Amino acid sequence: MDPQALLTCLSTASCVITQTTGGLISGMLLFLVAAGLSLIFGTLKVVNFMHGSLYMLGAYFAYTLYTATGNFTIAVVGAALGVGLFGLVFERLFMSRVYNTDVLMQLLVCYGFILILDDAVKIIWGAEFLSMGMPAAFQRPPIMIAGGILPVYYLFLIGVTLGVALLLGLLLTRTRAGKIVRAAAVNPTMTSALGINTALVFGGVFALGGLLAGLSGALAAPVRSMVAGMGFSILIESFIVTVIGGMGSIGGALVGALLIGLVRSFGTIGFPLFTEGVMFLFMTLVLITKPSGLFGKEH
Amino acid sequence: MLTVENLHKSFGGVNAINGIDLKFDAGTLTAIIGPNGAGKTSFFNLITGAFAPDQGRILFGTDDIAGLSSPDIVKRGIGRAFQIASIFPSLTVRETILGAVNAHRGWHTKLRRRFPLGEANAQADEVMELVGLTAKADKLSGNLSHGDQKLLDIALALALEPRVLLLDEPTAGMGPEERWQMIDTVHKLWQRKQMTLIFIEHDMDIVFKYAQTIRVLSYGAVLAEGKPDEIRNHPKVIEAYLGTAYEKGRG
Amino acid sequence: MRSTVWLDIVIAAAAMAVLLLLPLVFPGKAFSDFMIRLSAFAIFATSLNLLVGYTGLVSFGHGLFYGLGAYSFALMMQKLGTSIPVAFIATVGVSAAVATVVGAICIRLKEIYFSFLTLAFQMLLHSVIIAWTPLTGGDQGLTGGVPRPPFLGIRLDDPQHLYIFCSAVLVVSLYIMWHLVRSPFGYTMRMIRDNPRRAEFLGVRVWRVRLLAFVVAGVFGSIGGLLMSLFVSSAYPDFAYWTVSGEAVFMILMGGISVFFGPLVGAVMLLLLNDVVTRVTEHYSLMLGIIILCFALGLRKGLLGFVLWAWERRRAGAQ
Repeated sequence: MDPQALLTCLSTASCVITQTTGGLISGMLLFLVAAGLSLIFGTLKVVNFMHGSLYMLGAYFAYTLYTATGNFTIAVVGAALGVGLFGLVFERLFMSRVYNTDVLMQLLVCYGFILILDDAVKIIWGAEFLSMGMPAAFQRPPIMIAGGILPVYYLFLIGVTLGVALLLGLLLTRTRAGKIVRAAAVNPTMTSALGINTALVFGGVFALGGLLAGLSGALAAPVRSMVAGMGFSILIESFIVTVIGGMGSIGGALVGALLIGLVRSFGTIGFPLFTEGVMFLFMTLVLITKPSGLFGKEH
Repeated sequence: MLTVENLHKSFGGVNAINGIDLKFDAGTLTAIIGPNGAGKTSFFNLITGAFAPDQGRILFGTDDIAGLSSPDIVKRGIGRAFQIASIFPSLTVRETILGAVNAHRGWHTKLRRRFPLGEANAQADEVMELVGLTAKADKLSGNLSHGDQKLLDIALALALEPRVLLLDEPTAGMGPEERWQMIDTVHKLWQRKQMTLIFIEHDMDIVFKYAQTIRVLSYGAVLAEGKPDEIRNHPKVIEAYLGTAYEKGRG
Repeated sequence: MRSTVWLDIVIAAAAMAVLLLLPLVFPGKAFSDFMIRLSAFAIFATSLNLLVGYTGLVSFGHGLFYGLGAYSFALMMQKLGTSIPVAFIATVGVSAAVATVVGAICIRLKEIYFSFLTLAFQMLLHSVIIAWTPLTGGDQGLTGGVPRPPFLGIRLDDPQHLYIFCSAVLVVSLYIMWHLVRSPFGYTMRMIRDNPRRAEFLGVRVWRVRLLAFVVAGVFGSIGGLLMSLFVSSAYPDFAYWTVSGEAVFMILMGGISVFFGPLVGAVMLLLLNDVVTRVTEHYSLMLGIIILCFALGLRKGLLGFVLWAWERRRAGAQ
């Protein structure tokens, strides 16, 4: 514990700004992963415990595409689509077989996939840390605000993520597909009785969740180093985020992700050994006082 | 034995129970009838503490049991069985009934003593005998036929040696022959155990043949009460309920 | 019924005798080490199954008690210099107290939220262990070893004595839990797993039974951790990490969730698998992942559960 360091940081503008921007991008990356997790739970009532692995796949896909083409846009879009497809296949071939069993079987299928994908990544990309490097377009001096550092790429990342959040919100509230998804979440048998193909809805939701996680991984590739097993901590954190924000609530995921991102960023200064502890403390308190999460609906 | 005064309960603005006053004398056999949505099952739920009433009293003997928890109410001697048999699918018939006997005697958290206890076993045997499940004692409850599951559900309530037994449509989902068998079993139970028995029933032939008194519910209130003959000829009942259902039942 | 109690005692004694004789057949240290780890995991997984399999409480955070047992025992031995029996009993007491508080909070929640909250509590303990470096040694684990002073002529720093001690704790723990699931309480647990609402209408105060089950499972879970800390003469934060709970869940499902000895069989399988697969290939995770998928998608009854089911069917067919 080092409360002194935290106070010192909080009293200097440069440190506050640097830590806040760092926390914001962590939170934004986390939001993309957590939103998918939350969406999948909200619709299918299934916790996709391998969601962190999708994030990892996104990062590695982006790495490969970027080294092959040198084009960052292709890398990001390709990685997101690739992981979305992977999510769809995973749901149709494996996850859909365990919906009607108890939650432990779902946990097991996901755990099996975590292990398999981690090893697969080691076999394909090697066990060492990989770094993609910053794309040329973003290799320019950071913006300085009151002595605090704001890399250009951070701005880009925050912009893209907020755009995605907005699109996602519109998709769920304004389009027919979104309404079907929300209806399926409330009552799956009802929607299938109305002639809506629930298999398609479920597969689609998984694909969307995978797409978001893949996008997050791809956007993280320039600023995070890659290694097999990197999906683990983001899984834990996005899990905390969805529980705090409310399983199934996209807005809750955004608020929760920013909160956890800032806890991580300022925690590394003030309580480096207990940042995860603080997150779990949040989660515990929310579950005790409002199990459905801050923005979740009681059912 | 059981007196309900001015009972009210609404769910999300809908008045499920809208001022019920009823009295059930000790040892009587009463049928509750009424169209779907009349509040019959809600009435049972309120008596057994599944929900607390918004208003009103439920006197069991002289104690007001309104608002008590289900286990508390059950322990005072009100047993119930459900419209859709509510059983323990992965336990055998004997295990299920032994579990109920133990719950009744307050042994259900005993860590040391083992099954089958002589005394509990004897009572379980008696209960199985009463409902005619002795031959199926070692079958898994989940594998029983629909009718046997309904019997087991009733047997669970009987294991508690209730003074008042509430049966929610004991003959639901059965063929005609099975229905009469079931109601016959229930009737014998009532005679042998001399308890107060209240049952919800849709089949009017059964109701008129077996019930001593009938209470008709409609829109969460008591529409009529009386002996079978009085109910049969009650103009309001004919209008609200029998006119359609009774004819259909006959046809 | 008295006779079946005696029969169980005879079987337990026979199992103990077999465990005592096994080192004559497999004299190596590898075998006794394996058996000691097995005893810790078998007790732990069986205790979790009291919740998951018998009461229908799917705890994701049972590792809380594994870590708690290991750390409270090791710390008492190290910092207070108590004797092993005293520290053993005190660990059981601490775990029971913690289980009562944590359980009372968790069992109020429904289904998946119960699972989440148990996991959160476990990870909180893990975080505390990592952060409270002066007491716990942080992520390095407890340093300096756990003293194992002799008591009643038993010297647990002697591997042979430790083997016998762990075997005895295993047999006694399993015997008690077996007795428990056959007791009226065991029936009540199963009723609550099947249909808690119906149990309420039989006069059962469901939350009380769940809490009691949670405490009993917590106590035995901590004994598993305690044995592990005796074996490694230390305690590590990993003991409280969620992977410990995950392994126990996997053991239960491999052996069979509906069978009392399923977790024991599962523990043997997973530990063997660990040893064999790591020797054969460097792609341990890949192999384990595939095996896990096979169980989750194909053999859902677990190995022991499947064998018993097949045997029942054959017997029914023969009649």
